[in-house]
Amino acid sequence: MAKSAQRYTSVVVNFRARTFSGTDVVALLARLILGGALLLAGGLKALHPYQAAAAVRAYEILPVSLANPLGYSLPWVEIGVGIILVLGLFIRIGALLGAAMMVIFMIGVGSAWARGLSIDCGCFGGGGAVDPSKTAYASEIARDALFFTCGAYLLWRPGTRWSMDAMGSGRITTDLYEDELDVEEMEG
Amino acid sequence: MAEESRESRSQARLAAAAERKALAEAAAKKARRSRMLVSLAVIAPILLVVIVGVSISLVKSKVDSNVTAPKIASKADGYGLVFNTSAKPQIDVWEDFQCPACKNFEDANGATIHALATSGKARVVFHSLSFLGAESVILANAGACAADEGMFLQFHDYLYKNQKPENSAYWGLSKVTAAGVAAGLPKQSFTECVKSGKFAKWVENIAADGAKANINQTPTVLINGKEIDRNSGAYIDPSLFNKALADAGVK
Repeated sequence: MAKSAQRYTSVVVNFRARTFSGTDVVALLARLILGGALLLAGGLKALHPYQAAAAVRAYEILPVSLANPLGYSLPWVEIGVGIILVLGLFIRIGALLGAAMMVIFMIGVGSAWARGLSIDCGCFGGGGAVDPSKTAYASEIARDALFFTCGAYLLWRPGTRWSMDAMGSGRITTDLYEDELDVEEMEG
Repeated sequence: MAEESRESRSQARLAAAAERKALAEAAAKKARRSRMLVSLAVIAPILLVVIVGVSISLVKSKVDSNVTAPKIASKADGYGLVFNTSAKPQIDVWEDFQCPACKNFEDANGATIHALATSGKARVVFHSLSFLGAESVILANAGACAADEGMFLQFHDYLYKNQKPENSAYWGLSKVTAAGVAAGLPKQSFTECVKSGKFAKWVENIAADGAKANINQTPTVLINGKEIDRNSGAYIDPSLFNKALADAGVK
C-alpha cells in the first residue's frame, strides 16, 4: 500500500498588489503634477537655451558668468527630475530635488519682487524684463508653492503604487504547488 | 506505530514550512536585486540625456571664432554688423526680427537709425538676436545674407514693416526669399544663402555674445556702451530718443 507524502516541487512568487489607498492616489497625483510641470518647464526651455539664460540673468542675482551656464543647464536637469518623478523611479530623490528647486525658484522670484524688478519668472520659457503691469510674482510663487507641496508630500509619503519603485516590492506571496508523490511505506 | 507516524508527519510539516520560507525569502531577494538592476538600467539613459543636454548647451553657447560671418561683421563687436567703422558715437542695436517690441522701436526710431547708418554720423552696430525661435534664426541668417549683398538696411526695414506674429510658421524659405526680392535683393544668390543657412553659426555667435554681454531682452539699444533706460520712454518716443542721441554728441 502506498502512503502519500507531500513534497514541494515548485514555488511561484506573486507580487500581489495591495488594494490601493487614498495615500497612493495623492502620491500619484503629486508625482504627475510636480514631474509633469518640471518636464514641461524643462522641455520648453531646452528648446530655447539663449532665452533660458537671459531669463536667469534677468534676476540679477548671479553674475553673468554663472547665470548663463545655469540657464543653459537647468532645463535639462528639470527634464531629468521630471522623468524620474513621472516614472516613479527613486521617488524620494526626485521629490527632494524637485522640492529643492521649487524653494530656490520661490526665493528667486520673491527676491526679484522685493527688489522691485519687473521680470517674468521665465519658469515655462520666456522670461526677462516685462512691463511692470505684467509682473505676476504672487501667482508665480503660489504655483511654485503648489509644486513644492507635491515634493514635500512625496518625501513624506512616496506611495510607490503605480511607480517603478513598486517593481518587486508588492507583498510577496508564495503559491506552493503540491504534488502528491507515492512513497513506499516501510512497514515492519 | 501510529504515534511514530504522527511525529514524522509533524516533522515533515515543519520542514516544509521552513523550506517554503527559505524559498520565499530567496525569491524576494532575487526580486529586489532585479528591481535594482532595472532601476539602474532606466536611470542610466535618463542621466545620459541630462548630461548630454547640458554639455551640448554649454558647448553651443561658446562663441566660435571660426564661423562664416558676413563681410561687415566685426569680431571685436561680438560679430555685430557694423556701419561706419570709425564714426562716433557708437550705437548698438540688439534686436530680433520677430519681436513686437522691436517693431515698436523700429516704428518710432528706425528711420533715425537708418539715417545715422547711411549718413555716417554714428557707428551703428546691429546684433540680430534669435532667441524667440527657429524663425528668428532663419530671419537673422537672411539678414546676414542681405548684408553681404550690401542691402541689410533695406531688408531690415522690410522685415519690420511686414512683421508677422511670433513663431507663426510664416517665415519659411519661400516667404523669406520673396521678402528679400521685394526688398530688392537678387533672387538667386539670396535664395541660396537663405536655403543653405550660410550664416547659421554666426547667428549662434551673436546669441552667445548677447548672453555674455548681459542682453536680456530685445530691443536693447546702447549709446556708447550705455543701455538706454527702458523706463525712460526713449524706445518708443522719438523726441526722447533724439535727445539721448544729441546728448551723446550726434549732430
